[in-house]
Amino acid sequence: MSVSEKKTRIIEPDSLIGKRIPKMDAPEKASGRTRYIHDINLSGQLYGKILRSGRIHALIKSIDTSAARALPGVHVVITAADIPDQRPIGVARDHFPLKVGRVRSQRDEIAAVAAESEEIAEAALKLIKVVYEDLPVISDPEDAIKPGAALIHPEPHGADGTHLHLKQGTSIAHRGKADNIAMRFDYAHGDVVKGEAESDVVIEDTFRLHYVTHCCMGVSGMIAEFDASGNLLMYSNTQVPFLHKREFAEYLNMDPARIRIIQPPIGGGFGSKLDIYPFEIICLFLARAAKRPVKMLFTREEEFLASPTRQPVLLTLRSGCKKDGTLTFRQVHTLHDNGAYTSWGATTPFVMMQTFSSLYRVPHCDYHTAAVYTNNPYAGSFRGYGNLQATFAIEQHMDMMAEAIGMDSLEFRLKNAQDSGETTGQGMVFKSCGFKDCINTAAQRSDYSRKFKENEANRGKPGNIKHGIGMASMLHVGGGAKIYPSDGCGTILKMDDFANVTLITGASEIGQGSETVLSQLVCEELGLPISAITVVNNDTAITPWDVGVHASRTTFIAGNSAIGAAKKAKAKILAVAAKKYDAAEADLDLRGGFVIKAASGEVVVELSKLLRNLHFQDKAELVMTTFYYEPPSVHQGKDFKGDVSAAYAWASQVVEVEVDTDTGMVRMTKITGAHDVGRVLNRLGIEGQIEGGMVMGQGYALTEDLMIVDGVMRNPNFRDYKLVTAPEIPEMDIAFIESMDGEGPQGAKGVGEAPSICIAAAAANAIRNATGVRMFELPFTPEKVYRALHGQTPKRYWKPWKAE
Amino acid sequence: MTELKHYFAPTSLDQAVECLKDGDVTILAGGTDLTPQSQAGRIRIKRTLMNIRHIPQLSGITLEGREIRIGTLATITEIMEHPLVRQHLPVLVEACNHFASDQIRNAATLGGNICNASPAGDTLIPLLLLDARVELASMPEAKLYRHSMPLATFFVGPGKTRRSLCELLTCVRIPLPGEGHVAHFHKLGTRPALDISTISIGIGGTLREGVLTNVRVAFGAVAPTPVRAARAEQALEGQKLDAAIIDRVAAIARDEVEPIDDVRATAWYRKEMIHNITRRMLTHVAQA
Repeated sequence: MSVSEKKTRIIEPDSLIGKRIPKMDAPEKASGRTRYIHDINLSGQLYGKILRSGRIHALIKSIDTSAARALPGVHVVITAADIPDQRPIGVARDHFPLKVGRVRSQRDEIAAVAAESEEIAEAALKLIKVVYEDLPVISDPEDAIKPGAALIHPEPHGADGTHLHLKQGTSIAHRGKADNIAMRFDYAHGDVVKGEAESDVVIEDTFRLHYVTHCCMGVSGMIAEFDASGNLLMYSNTQVPFLHKREFAEYLNMDPARIRIIQPPIGGGFGSKLDIYPFEIICLFLARAAKRPVKMLFTREEEFLASPTRQPVLLTLRSGCKKDGTLTFRQVHTLHDNGAYTSWGATTPFVMMQTFSSLYRVPHCDYHTAAVYTNNPYAGSFRGYGNLQATFAIEQHMDMMAEAIGMDSLEFRLKNAQDSGETTGQGMVFKSCGFKDCINTAAQRSDYSRKFKENEANRGKPGNIKHGIGMASMLHVGGGAKIYPSDGCGTILKMDDFANVTLITGASEIGQGSETVLSQLVCEELGLPISAITVVNNDTAITPWDVGVHASRTTFIAGNSAIGAAKKAKAKILAVAAKKYDAAEADLDLRGGFVIKAASGEVVVELSKLLRNLHFQDKAELVMTTFYYEPPSVHQGKDFKGDVSAAYAWASQVVEVEVDTDTGMVRMTKITGAHDVGRVLNRLGIEGQIEGGMVMGQGYALTEDLMIVDGVMRNPNFRDYKLVTAPEIPEMDIAFIESMDGEGPQGAKGVGEAPSICIAAAAANAIRNATGVRMFELPFTPEKVYRALHGQTPKRYWKPWKAE
Repeated sequence: MTELKHYFAPTSLDQAVECLKDGDVTILAGGTDLTPQSQAGRIRIKRTLMNIRHIPQLSGITLEGREIRIGTLATITEIMEHPLVRQHLPVLVEACNHFASDQIRNAATLGGNICNASPAGDTLIPLLLLDARVELASMPEAKLYRHSMPLATFFVGPGKTRRSLCELLTCVRIPLPGEGHVAHFHKLGTRPALDISTISIGIGGTLREGVLTNVRVAFGAVAPTPVRAARAEQALEGQKLDAAIIDRVAAIARDEVEPIDDVRATAWYRKEMIHNITRRMLTHVAQA
């Protein structure tokens, strides 16, 4: 058969974008085959366990480990005294992994054991004798800032009892702190005094946000091994392997080049793996001392006790507007309970101030946070990063101000909502902005206005079930966040002689579906089916650099990086094809596994055949490309101003509730969400992510409450810490606003954190709509709501205070 | 740490009670309370762990004369699904329906729920309404000895019962309710599944022409044990259920209980809920 007789084959255009594509890891996870860190065991491995403080705040007078060391099967027992080169960890370097002389919270690490079995390690812990001298406990952040308050990190004393004023530059762990203020943030634009003078209505309220924690289904763990040459291999659950490699090196006084991190699939992250925790360093100390691999896994109780929490916040918000509905100013003071040590929770003001300054147009804004040391658990990063807290206050005030001036709350929101093209007082530039579409869509789909009025009218009628509807909206970074010197991600793309692609990306998969979405973007570019790709994303010895999984950045940043590498590969392939088949590169394209003529779809050559030709010739070549994407965002200045993200995500959510006035029980019946996601890439994935986020928001609003009393966690278990269960999950109606961001990969923006942010605020507005009672404190548990309904909740007022 | 030295899985009741003579035995049935509680350090596993699941005499749900006998090993699921229970003891089915989750109901046993003696135990309230008796077996000499007592006198405190260390709870006996018997159970918690009651209420009796007699009122999670509410029962006895009596009984019930504050609720809220839910349940009975 001659070429001319061969039937011309046409490949029709097709796209993977917007399709419902199952997550690539789903079959393994659903069939129980995924090998989590829990399933990995190395030969010769020992088991590490940690002895935690029996006290909340105390001096350690003595530790006797002799009996533990003598127990058969115990290889190593360590305390701070055994690690003279121990360095402080954490965001403020105020935290020794093994505590030196003093414990400051219930979870504090005193000693650790590596033994031949978990049982032996646990038995050894029981043989360690610690003598404490109790100190006064500070469990209320308001007490921490009172004059004369006991200090959590006092300056050290010399042998003669005088303060040793160590030089600045040494860490807080060494030099101490003369007050309990861990961090402070002060931001302003405009002039709030002027703004207040122009206001017709001014309201001020105090809001209180509680402790919750991530509750990852997979408990924390690590395996560490030093090889015979002293190189360190870690199996770690970190979300930020490259930054942590450098940090681990610092804490171990070793060369970062000799550290390799492998990330097994993790059972949930949600921000919890964004910092390095004592257990990880302790596991490394044990492995170094034992000269054997050491595996350390938390129990569920430990996971509660020793994991970070969401940042608890006491917040007083003062807001004003004119009669015509124009916002005039906002003034915000917050007291962050930092807990005993500083992790990312203290830095949530970075995000909170964005919401206060820029969710709506506010000409004058003044924001102050003091994060203060207490003897409570310490807060880390958690999906939403302060935005749930800020939105809770702001969106209640939006309803309250609308009511005060007698304006429809939707109209009031729309009047002040941002539009694309605006630059906010904080310097954020909204290139794509679907905010007003979000508000309108969520309102229309839920029939918000009609139900709102009906519910209000029905409030006084007989019957114990009251219906309510409430709205809240959010702004969050959707194009990365330039916190570090780089906010970039690298990609290596390799094609084999069967036209299969290996995508080697710095971006970690933590269950969010990144490997599927990145695969889609690459296959879209190269005209390949999703089955033609393998993703490698979990080994620092192989993958190129990435900042890490945080700030809803992976689809945007790693996506652009993957597209960049795919485009380079495509250009190379088309150049080869053009030469070989005597065509112009611009007239060719890739589709369905073939090189085609772009105009007609006519097949030129099967891609795998072209690649083999390229490979197996005299001047053999491979198609392997690399790309590094750095978003066009800028660092904020010391005044916290600047366009920190390459794109911003928006959402409005409407929550409907039934309140049982006999019991205070709030049942969430429906959530309607309208999300500006730029563009939907994997419809199945994004729906899952939004549904999951909504449930997380539901738990924050209604049921989850990590109870800390005098520094003691009262419910470190799933019996008393109430996650939302399946029958409680409401009906969900999710709408996507596709604003097609110009910088986003295929127009997409980040969405990971967005769906959990509005739920608590919208629920508060819904309860108000149902009952006439406004809730200023979370969570809305039956008793809290019942008390509020019966006037049994004195309204809290925290007088604005800022660190001098 | 556990002192566990022996594991024993007897296949007859005689073997089991013989083993119990030692006094240093932890009994394992469904394990749904024992496992988490021993891991959390609230229960210490004794020298011998005795698994009673292989003893046929301890299973089954049967009608014996005018009594329904439920073996100690009957699981919550078996009870819920059993035709005898569904026909004669619907209030027990109601309570089982609120018990933990499907998975736990498949393993948890009635005897375990009783001997765990939680003030919030879900099956205990309906069993109190139904005048259930518990049967205990032991071997003081060489011969098997059985005796029984009303469930209402069985509980002593949280986790404590009148079962001695050498006795085994073998079954529960429930007299068939007479004609006109009504009974209802309400569990108040924060979620529909996997929850420990904040409070629970059972109300039962014989309803004829709007008048309630032979009244039983029982409350869970408001005292160290599940309790009958004598004053509320007395106030209801022989009364026609109208709005005034319902309000009066609800108020008496609230004042009769003396709950505590714990992680689930304050005493104040529990008293309020006893009042509101008692009123709601009586109103439903009156309207039915």
